[in-house]
Amino acid sequence: MTRKNPISVPDGYFQDLQVRLSQIPSQEEAAPRGIRRLAPYVAYAASLAVLATVGSFVFRQTAVKEDNGWDYVSYLALSLDPDGLVELKEAEEPTEDDIRSFLLASNVSVEQLAMLDDEKTY
Amino acid sequence: MEELEQVFNGIVKQYSERLYWHVRRMVGSHEDADDLLQEIFLKIWTALPSFRGEAQLYTWVWRIATNETLNFLRKEKVRALLRFSSADELAAQRVMADPYFNGTDAEREMAKAVARLPEKQRQVFIMRWWDELSYEEISAITGTSVGALKASYHIAQEKIKLNLSDAEVSK
Repeated sequence: MTRKNPISVPDGYFQDLQVRLSQIPSQEEAAPRGIRRLAPYVAYAASLAVLATVGSFVFRQTAVKEDNGWDYVSYLALSLDPDGLVELKEAEEPTEDDIRSFLLASNVSVEQLAMLDDEKTY
Repeated sequence: MEELEQVFNGIVKQYSERLYWHVRRMVGSHEDADDLLQEIFLKIWTALPSFRGEAQLYTWVWRIATNETLNFLRKEKVRALLRFSSADELAAQRVMADPYFNGTDAEREMAKAVARLPEKQRQVFIMRWWDELSYEEISAITGTSVGALKASYHIAQEKIKLNLSDAEVSK
């Protein structure tokens, strides 16, 4: 095996290399390596923090609005007629008379109504 | 600070070319060697204030360079695995594609055979054969015993010979 170097470098490479390498101390003084290495992570963390802040602000804004809306309706209803709310609840269940008058109003014949009454007795 | 800069510039002047050739032969491409050399000298600059002189400056500089190069090659290995390829083959392909290679076919075959060696064997072979370091110097840099280095060099040489004869047969 012979020892002849078969690889080369671009022209003037070593002069340029020495210049670039000797600039390392001044570059490091301007922005130390640690900071330069951390910079992308810091940027990432900052963008996450901004997203989290904006997200939580938006969430809180919408959540507060909903709560306020619900409280407002309840408050309004109760302040208008607190008993009325109870009556409304009780009135939800229709009486037999209600059904009968509804059927009569819906053009159901008296005979059909009587049949319904008969079925009820059986 | 100025004193450190002077020492650093001295290291650049004295070792940059030599270290370039070592790194270039280890990684197989000019671009990678150039990037890696920048990293190595950055590391040297950062570590320079903590250099206590227990080792010779020469050994210390070489140790940083060889460690950084091995780290680079390990990362390359992982990258090659992720591409379902082998690092040795990629290194051999780099030798084939190197635009700055102007040797004979036999020299290209030899460069390919060296590129296919496992990292540590490649390191010992390049340091002994190309960088012309003594076993004692390599031992001080790598922290490996002279006996182990001799064995490693011998195995590397045998593998290269085998690779070269295989290449000859396949022609």
